[in-house]
Amino acid sequence: MFEIAYGSDGEIICRGRLDAAQCQKAQSFMDLVEGPKTLDFMYLEYISSAGLGILLKTQKRLAGSGAALRIINVNNHIYDVFRYSGFHAIFDISARE
Amino acid sequence: MHRQFDRNFDALSALYEFAEQALMAHDIGEAVRFPIHLAMEELFTNMVKYHPEGDRGIGVDLDVEDGLVTVTLTESGVDEFDITRPREIDTTAALEARSPGGLGLFLIQHIVDSLEYDYRDRRSTVVFTKRSGN
Repeated sequence: MFEIAYGSDGEIICRGRLDAAQCQKAQSFMDLVEGPKTLDFMYLEYISSAGLGILLKTQKRLAGSGAALRIINVNNHIYDVFRYSGFHAIFDISARE
Repeated sequence: MHRQFDRNFDALSALYEFAEQALMAHDIGEAVRFPIHLAMEELFTNMVKYHPEGDRGIGVDLDVEDGLVTVTLTESGVDEFDITRPREIDTTAALEARSPGGLGLFLIQHIVDSLEYDYRDRRSTVVFTKRSGN
């Protein structure tokens, strides 16, 4: 199960497991994102390289207009995946408290 | 535990449930279940993406013994693809130079304790282990 939607403050809320089977849903949503945005991972349990690819593709597209994604409330397992991938250097990421 | 899965991404939820059931039965904590799920998905999706010529099913075995989780993925009718070959990715590269290609296999090599590949008679077998700490 994976869900992605805008929250009441304009943040993008991701929920569930972002695996290869859910990528099309995530990609379709992220392709419409413009300008700087915050992704809230409070309810995201899991991400694989397929999900990382979507984040990377979106970040590169937004960088063309000087914007960027910010990712907040990342659980420690997903944070480890970001760290191994070097994503912590190309995204503004904050861990879940 | 052994189960056969269809060679498509839609099988990922069943793969997850299979692994979760086996790992929870041995009280394996989330800190170990997460990298196991990740490695299983990356290997499984690699087989789906790069071996469309293969037989329909992909076999998965998951065993826990003396605190060691061993996962085996097997597929037949496929070309050789050595997933243990080192994947070099510059994780310090700037955003414009980054590409998602190869990231999955790169990640696996960092999160499992051992990774082996065997290929014979057009049959690929991948085995990885992860120590549970239990």
